[in-house]
Amino acid sequence: MKTFLAWLLWLWMSLVIVGAFYYAPVAEHFRVPGSSRIVFFHVPMAWTSFLAFIAAAVWSVMYLVRRNPRHDRSAGVAVQLGLLFGVLATITGAVWAKIEWGAWWNWDPRQTSILASLLFYAAYLALRQATEEPEKRARLSAAYAILGLAVTPFLFWIVPRITFSLHPDPVVNSSGKVEMDPRIQHVLYASGLGFATLFFWMHNLQRRLESLTERREALKE
Amino acid sequence: MWQTISTWALEATAVFVKEWRCEFRTRYALNTLALFAFTTLVVVSFSLGPLGVDRSHGTAVLPVLLWIILLFSVAAGLPRTFVQEEETQTAMALRLSATPSALFCGKLLYNLTLVLALEVLVTPAYVIMTSLEVASPWLLVAVLAAGGYGLATGSTLVAAIIAQARSKGTLFSVLSFPILLPLLVLAVELTRGATAGDPGGVAVPVLLLYDATITVAGLMLFPVVWNP
Amino acid sequence: MLRGVSGTVDPGEMMLVTGPNGSGKSTLLRCLAGLLAADGGTIAYQENGTPLDGAERRRRVGVIAPDLAFYAELTVEENLAFFARLRRVPAARGLGVLSRLNLPLDRLAGNLSSGMRQRLRWGFALLHSPRLLLLDEPFQNFDAPGERIARELLEEHLAEGGLAVVANPSSLDFHHVANHLDLGA
Repeated sequence: MKTFLAWLLWLWMSLVIVGAFYYAPVAEHFRVPGSSRIVFFHVPMAWTSFLAFIAAAVWSVMYLVRRNPRHDRSAGVAVQLGLLFGVLATITGAVWAKIEWGAWWNWDPRQTSILASLLFYAAYLALRQATEEPEKRARLSAAYAILGLAVTPFLFWIVPRITFSLHPDPVVNSSGKVEMDPRIQHVLYASGLGFATLFFWMHNLQRRLESLTERREALKE
Repeated sequence: MWQTISTWALEATAVFVKEWRCEFRTRYALNTLALFAFTTLVVVSFSLGPLGVDRSHGTAVLPVLLWIILLFSVAAGLPRTFVQEEETQTAMALRLSATPSALFCGKLLYNLTLVLALEVLVTPAYVIMTSLEVASPWLLVAVLAAGGYGLATGSTLVAAIIAQARSKGTLFSVLSFPILLPLLVLAVELTRGATAGDPGGVAVPVLLLYDATITVAGLMLFPVVWNP
Repeated sequence: MLRGVSGTVDPGEMMLVTGPNGSGKSTLLRCLAGLLAADGGTIAYQENGTPLDGAERRRRVGVIAPDLAFYAELTVEENLAFFARLRRVPAARGLGVLSRLNLPLDRLAGNLSSGMRQRLRWGFALLHSPRLLLLDEPFQNFDAPGERIARELLEEHLAEGGLAVVANPSSLDFHHVANHLDLGA
């Protein structure tokens, strides 16, 4: 069953890639219209990075309530993947920014937000590295994840709004426009679904890998 | 019910008094904060001073540098509140005796007074040494108060977290910076507004909202961090 | 690592936990004190069948451990007064214990000898008149008079209906022990 789902995911993502290049039209209002195809990968990766963080926060809360180490492990793996997808989203975003706006980095509110979230993921992982005892590691990182959750709305929505309004950026981030060609929307949402599934699939694999590694270490003693 | 609140407040006050009593006898935190802040201050003003900073550049750059000085001074001097309890092993006695929320508030108040004292020392010196013209001094005071509160609260909670981990020095900066980033952005914007005479608009309520959020988060998460 | 440990103590009784170094005596006491989380199993705190929350547990349990430390910059009296305020009890009981143990109150805690520090630990443990005493090597560093007075304090505690769990390297130092848990070998 799991193998079937994995193959289904592979097929889905292949269709997404094909659709990104052949089915969806280019977005005409971009400077280099062809570059708009990056949206089908860049945006879903950013969404997935954010999804990873929400998942980690949920697992952290579940850990604190139930004190089940599995939830702690799930949270840790989720943040690792969140960092991975976040880095990919930042890189693809920078590539697009270079093509569209001429510079790799523009201090566009969204670029800044995702960079801040990367810092947060890295900090969380550093905390996990710095604590040896499993119970302490689980408790401290769960607390930090929830603290991050409390601060996230400020990072992602409120502060960018404020800095944006205080410094009107002449270059408008046009990927926020919703009046997209329906075909673009199809591929975009399909890609989003594909990346989210990819996240859960990778999460499952990595979580099981870490669990097995831990058990092997325990057997060695 | 009032009795529980008043005894709780007495506990928090006892912690606050103990912190300051120990601090007065060693003066460790005050010395660290002051030394760090003034050294950084001198470096900054010396680099800017002889070259002179014209007004437009001043408004852009100087508010940021002020908050950087405050942030790094806090990182140098504040984590000690919890780290020292673990290192001198007095944390065990505290865990056995104290109500976690009262302990958190007592430590928070202590750190808050440290941060406010730091700001009172640093800001006038900074304004004078960089010849910063402040159009709305009252807004600056408000930003320093609200921003300082956020700095103290966030730092207290992060200090509690890292006190139980290894490599505590660098870990504090790594963990606290993402959490304090929104606060810093808001504080810098408002400080900029204070120097330029711009009222700041929606940023002030947001800063207060951040302070409230981090206080609630601290009160709720501290017992989790403190007790096994 | 502790496995399969269980036992009972009734009011007025003392349980002695013995074993060589590293057998887990301190770990057991730390778990009972709420300072360490067990990886598996449960520790339930109940009084007359009703479970106790953290604050109630803190109120009823007194602990002595070799690494229990106090604030070096404060005097003995200031230390005790601080913890009394935290526990919301008058400092008189603890100060009374310390005067029985002949500990000078105005000495800075950082300037105490190891024997004096042990006396301060007794003052701290009995400060809030706890029901349960968890004592890890309670007579460590004591001279003969100090140990005698401490044993009297323990006897009085048990006579008043208190309970005690005492961890000690050897069982030879105690008589009339109700329960003996040996973690040795």
